[in-house]
Amino acid sequence: MSFLSPLFLLGAMTAAIPIALHLLHREPEVRVRFAAVKLLRHAPVEDARRRRLREWLLLALRVAALVLVAFAFARPFFATSAAGGSGRVTVIALDTSLSLSAPGQFARAKALAREAIGRAPAGDLVGVLTFADAAHVAATPSTDRALAVAAVEAASPGFGATHYGVALGAASQMIEGGGGSSATIVVVTDLQASGWEAAGHVAVPATSRVQVADVGAPPPNLAVTGTRLQGNRVTATVRNDGARERDAHARLTVDGRAVSEAVASIGPHQSAEIELAGARGDTASVSVDDDSGVQGDNVRFLVLGNTGLPSVLIVTTNGDLTRDAFYLQQALLAASSDEASYQVDGVPGAQVGSQDAARLQRRAAVVLSSTRGLDARGREMLAGYVRRGGGVLVTAGPDIDGDTVAEILGGAATIAPASARPAESMTRSLSPADVRHPVFQAFGSRAATLGLATFRQVVPIAGQNCQTVAQFTTGEPALIDCGVGGGRALVFASDLDNRGNDFPLHGTFVPFLHEAIRYLAGGRAQGDEYLVGDAPPGIRPVPGIASVAGPDAQAAARPIAINVDPREADLERVTEQEFQAGVDRLKEAGRVEGQLKASQQEGRQHVWQYLLLLAAAVLATESFVSTRAA
Amino acid sequence: MAATARERQFLDPAVVARLGTLELKARTIVEGFLAGLHRSPFKGFSVEFAEYRQYMPGDDLSTIDWKVYARSDRHYVKKFEEETNLDCHVIIDVSGSMGYGSRGVTKHEYAQCLAASLGYLMNRQRDAVGLTAFDERVVATLPASSRAGHLRAFLLTLDRLRLGSETDVSKPLHQLAESLTKRGMVVLISDLLDDPERVVRGLRHFQFRGTDVIVFQILDPDELEFPFERAARFEDMETGDEVRAVPVVVRQQYLKAMRGLIDRYRRDLGGCGIDYHLLSTADPLELGLLSYLSTRGRSL
Repeated sequence: MSFLSPLFLLGAMTAAIPIALHLLHREPEVRVRFAAVKLLRHAPVEDARRRRLREWLLLALRVAALVLVAFAFARPFFATSAAGGSGRVTVIALDTSLSLSAPGQFARAKALAREAIGRAPAGDLVGVLTFADAAHVAATPSTDRALAVAAVEAASPGFGATHYGVALGAASQMIEGGGGSSATIVVVTDLQASGWEAAGHVAVPATSRVQVADVGAPPPNLAVTGTRLQGNRVTATVRNDGARERDAHARLTVDGRAVSEAVASIGPHQSAEIELAGARGDTASVSVDDDSGVQGDNVRFLVLGNTGLPSVLIVTTNGDLTRDAFYLQQALLAASSDEASYQVDGVPGAQVGSQDAARLQRRAAVVLSSTRGLDARGREMLAGYVRRGGGVLVTAGPDIDGDTVAEILGGAATIAPASARPAESMTRSLSPADVRHPVFQAFGSRAATLGLATFRQVVPIAGQNCQTVAQFTTGEPALIDCGVGGGRALVFASDLDNRGNDFPLHGTFVPFLHEAIRYLAGGRAQGDEYLVGDAPPGIRPVPGIASVAGPDAQAAARPIAINVDPREADLERVTEQEFQAGVDRLKEAGRVEGQLKASQQEGRQHVWQYLLLLAAAVLATESFVSTRAA
Repeated sequence: MAATARERQFLDPAVVARLGTLELKARTIVEGFLAGLHRSPFKGFSVEFAEYRQYMPGDDLSTIDWKVYARSDRHYVKKFEEETNLDCHVIIDVSGSMGYGSRGVTKHEYAQCLAASLGYLMNRQRDAVGLTAFDERVVATLPASSRAGHLRAFLLTLDRLRLGSETDVSKPLHQLAESLTKRGMVVLISDLLDDPERVVRGLRHFQFRGTDVIVFQILDPDELEFPFERAARFEDMETGDEVRAVPVVVRQQYLKAMRGLIDRYRRDLGGCGIDYHLLSTADPLELGLLSYLSTRGRSL
């Protein structure tokens, strides 16, 4: 049994009061030698033994009542997550990220892992996991050391980026699964600083001990960390992660043919852009010569053509666009002036969590018109989407919950609850606050026509670091533009489906929506480049050009480029102390999460209510017993 | 007021208890008692001639000596000294319960004084006086006698009595009743905290044998009033049994039980012609002597 507010258990010490009173009040009992005791017996009295029993019973009842009340206030609950084992667990987390593929690095990592296994105290359960972008359990916790060593021997470095949060999270789950009462996590890694960049919502048990086995700094390295297509030229970003200046020989290969090359001198720990001409074809790659460093980041692939239509996902209550978001759907399907349009898909809030993350990430934008049924997984998916560069348009209609939106947008924007919304009787019009903003730039001198629409139902919206792009004529923000992580969010203070306003019935609606989606999709990858860790299902997570099926059976397969995460090319290291500081943050998160989980469990179980009822029953019994005896 | 005045002339039992010897106590009580009587209603029952006195209006005509009148032509009445051959037995309870006392005198001491006073009075009236002490059995016996010096033996025996164990009133009564060969008078002094039925049966045994019986039930004021306040452990003075009780709770029931016991004795003993007198240890001992003399008057 655990307690939500264990300090209240100190209240159980009040149980000492009746005990003390009982003991202190045990003054020498008056004994009267009396002659007519026989007559006294006819009266309703009790003998000494019975009375003593009754007194002890009363004392026990009083003590029990106080203890029960103290326990009730301590909010007890039965923890269900912990396995409750009694052994100790040691988890070896072996870094298999790309940086470990540098010559000699992984051999050292294996040796350190074996050493850590050997150091684990006799009787400890030892498990092994490998990690990069994701973690994989190589050996479940057991006392078989040979199994753990074999798992280490079988491990090899991949193309993923270091992600300590993933490693520690998986290790924590292994510890919970192993049922250990105490745990040690040994992280065998080269201490890449970028591994902490996206720790995410990972909780590490506060009681676990995290040790670091430092593999050491990798050798000097050259890496192609990015490519940018400009016309028929490719601009490649090359990073020199060595202590000395190096010449980088970059080559562009298009459809398997080497078409151009260039050389650039790059200073120590610096990056340089190298322009390569001749980018005409379907797919290409840019590579640099680097024999001494990590090989996996010497080449970067890119797709030169783009065959797919940008797709927009509309989250509604039921997923039926013709019913829930008819005007949105029709506006997005309508051909615009540049003859481009969008592929529009609808999904009910309840099914957002089951979406393929990679496919979601390829969406040009997501329109959030309802948060009904949006579960934690769905919220996390959308939050991840926008953090990784996605664009979200929130239409704050009646189906939008402010708290949910705030969670998705990381608190960047807030939407007032329904109770704080202004009366419907007041009508207002839309007015751009900044006509230079990309959403309104296309309207030019005709931006005033946006004011023809009448808005009856609006929602107060705000955001600390958001720009107010449009206002209502009443002065309330109508559209705000917020940066969220790597992505962007536009929050509109009313719905866009002809419910709280007649905006969709006006000619300005379609261009407004197209411009908004274009703006949201503008800062994103074209949807044809993936990182190894985000490779679509069915595609091997190795750098290169792959072919993926279209969104439906009729669509032709299209090429995609899979590259290593450029973060992995940054070989800057953290110290062990800095690493432990990161662990402490996760432990704190673990503590908070543990408290939250405990609070939820306690809230479900209501043990305190039963205890209070029991205390009341005990007090009633005490009252009954003492009254009968008086 | 009259009763109060009468009580004032009696001695406080607690004061009497502080007197030296039992003989002194008895003499003090009896002499004081007799001196307090203005006109003894008991004088004149003796058969021994004492003196002549001139007839006064109001004198009993049967007491006129007609022979003297014939000789002297004057009316003279005869006066007699008291004289009797009555055997009186004082039966005193010395069970453990008699040791209780709350007002400076225990029931045992009170009973001793009462018995001594009675013995003194009986001796003075030339009645033969005997003594039997008992608890659950007879522990001391002194045959009745009116010889000179018997009073000293009576008082000595009485003085040597020590408290015994449990009470069994009926057994010694039956035992004594069987041993009596001559009708007389029996005075029982006890707290009678026993089974009333058995006690009454034992006393009736005396009646069957033609013996008059006087019963003095001696109780302490505490036993009559139960004035205790604090919850206490009440230990039986005879058996040692303990009963814990909260007085305020049990008082009414106790008093009811005590009243029931007293009423039972009064009813049952009165019903069979036995004189029953309830004495509190706070009551003057002279009340007991009055009761005795009243009964004795009827016995002659």
